[in-house]
Amino acid sequence: MYPAPIKPLNPRPSRYGIDPSLVKNRFAELPEMTSLMLNELFPDVPDVIYPSSEGIYSIRRHAEAALEKVDLSMIQPNHTVNILASHHGFTLLGGEPYAELLKTVYDVVKQRTGAREVRLRAGVGLRFRETEEYIKRFELNKHFDRARGMAPIDEGIPIETEIGTLYGLKWTYDATWIIHVHNSDVREVHFHRQVDRAVKPFGMSYARIETRSTYHQNLGPRGANFTARAIFESEFVQSKFVGAVFLNMSPSGVISVEADNDLYKINDVITLSGLRHYGKVFQLLGEIDECIVGLDFPCPVPYVFSAGVIYCNFVGANCDLFDLDERLAPYTWYAEAMYGRDGKPLVSDVKPVNPAIKMVVHNYAWIGYPSAFFSQQVPTLVVGKEQADLFEHDSQNIEYMKYAMVADNLHDSMNFAYKTTGTDKVIVFDGAVGGINVSRSLADHLMEVAPSVSDKVDNILMPKWLKQRGILVNA
Amino acid sequence: MRLINSLAVILNDKCTGCKICSQVCPTLAITMEPVPGTKHKKLAVVEEENCTGCTACEQRCPFDAIEMTNLEESRMIGVDISLSNYEEVQKICYDAHLHPEQIVCYCTSTRADEVAAAILQGADTPDKISQRTGLRTGCTVECLQPAIRMLKSAGIELEAPKGRYQWYGETPTIWSIPDEVKEKYSKRGFHFDEDIEFLEKLRNAPLSSATCQLQVKGEEK
Repeated sequence: MYPAPIKPLNPRPSRYGIDPSLVKNRFAELPEMTSLMLNELFPDVPDVIYPSSEGIYSIRRHAEAALEKVDLSMIQPNHTVNILASHHGFTLLGGEPYAELLKTVYDVVKQRTGAREVRLRAGVGLRFRETEEYIKRFELNKHFDRARGMAPIDEGIPIETEIGTLYGLKWTYDATWIIHVHNSDVREVHFHRQVDRAVKPFGMSYARIETRSTYHQNLGPRGANFTARAIFESEFVQSKFVGAVFLNMSPSGVISVEADNDLYKINDVITLSGLRHYGKVFQLLGEIDECIVGLDFPCPVPYVFSAGVIYCNFVGANCDLFDLDERLAPYTWYAEAMYGRDGKPLVSDVKPVNPAIKMVVHNYAWIGYPSAFFSQQVPTLVVGKEQADLFEHDSQNIEYMKYAMVADNLHDSMNFAYKTTGTDKVIVFDGAVGGINVSRSLADHLMEVAPSVSDKVDNILMPKWLKQRGILVNA
Repeated sequence: MRLINSLAVILNDKCTGCKICSQVCPTLAITMEPVPGTKHKKLAVVEEENCTGCTACEQRCPFDAIEMTNLEESRMIGVDISLSNYEEVQKICYDAHLHPEQIVCYCTSTRADEVAAAILQGADTPDKISQRTGLRTGCTVECLQPAIRMLKSAGIELEAPKGRYQWYGETPTIWSIPDEVKEKYSKRGFHFDEDIEFLEKLRNAPLSSATCQLQVKGEEK
């Protein structure tokens, strides 16, 4: 008896996606689909504080408790405070936990310090209006003294670092103090390689285009995230930094709220936790021998996720992305750059994308991130001409539809995919909470290999990953 | 090469003349023009020829005074690499630590050699490179530094524009990180020297046959 699929998040109204009414069917409604809960696959998955029977109050309660040990005494009543947020947090578990965390930080800071003005400054990636949409959706503009989204092309300020001048966003730093509120979801491990995960927004969503371009073009595939550390350690940023508050995530939900004046203490906690809990899912998905991939979540193509793993990391799941001896992920911008005019890698070190992916059925995903690489590398069917048209006119995806085909509906797409690939294994990237929506055949396969994957991670990979990052663990 | 199939349109009844659109446009396609019959009022005007439809202006306008419209007839922009001496193109790329075929803009798939050719054909600022090649007209974020590195390797001194923030200037590279900094963080998982070695390997990789054909075409001209 196979359990029913987990109901995915509904399509969201956004300028970056098609109208939700155009999403006629979801993968979770297909008759051959089932779900696997993460605690069935890995009995040692951690307990979560959210989702829980306590509801969203659990986030507030844990955040208030974690903030008790954070020193806020430097904030005086006549001071201003910028609470710094990033778009990614709003894509986790529907966004409500992150929004509640931000509101709680505001309430605690106001209550304990009486600071004159506590503002929300929410950075983005490449969709410049994205956090403006979240600010409205979660009514953060009503909760904070001021709330604004900020984009990497907004006015900047130079920041002197130990490697030279980098640039931050003026809106990030225009207060007496800053508090960094983020999450530990490993997300773009192909970029940061789980090195300094907690620091990354200082080189990304709080930074100007010069800095982001430094990260993705001027350093290298295993040194890029140093850009963030360079900025964070600058005298300027340190003079404003109060502390950080994090949702500590696992693929099945929020494990804890971490808060500290020392960002590196949080960094060590979440690095360890991320390797341990996401590592098993990464390895498990790497064991899939063949499959059809379904994209079905309100996020850009590379960011739709399944059991905490974003699609673009499944594209690289034929490599161990946590292993720092792997110099280049099969998908990362440094790798994409290395394909020559004839479509072949310029150097032999570029590994092909995950050969297990036989076809992608793009039922619902957003524009606003350069995604042509994926349709170039893997046969892709896009459901609905409206969605195809949206991509064709997106300045970041002018070439996406050059390589993809358009299908009328999800059912026909899947029939075509089954017929042409010859596999009935399907994995869906629909952000299902607590588990993973897959076809029955793939569920059987994953259940079979999960125990050996778990052993390998615990006994072989974890010690290696930790050593590579200079993290010593006693237990 | 970059296909252009949309255009920014200013809604004059909503435009307040705040200038933000003209400060962020990567191709300098927006200027502030006086409104006839008023003393000081200026409104944004889009020069259609230079607008690539990147949406930077539309997404930053605080007053929703810009709309994107699909063009009835799309057009292409791009630089004919064969009009430049490919050895000179290669030298600019090499000195900027880039392989000529390396993709330097992930949205438009613009390659380093096209940017170098644009520089050789007179594009002497990041904005002019964007106008001619389409570089930095997708997300408008990630590909600024290769352009600046190549301009520098071509011997062009850059001065950041005043009163606008399309770009500020050069930033550090992996080749400029001091040894003591590398040493200080060597145990934390950063692999600077190994990445340098890897990027050098890329820089020295042979050209693909497709680019060799382009090179021959250029020599014939």
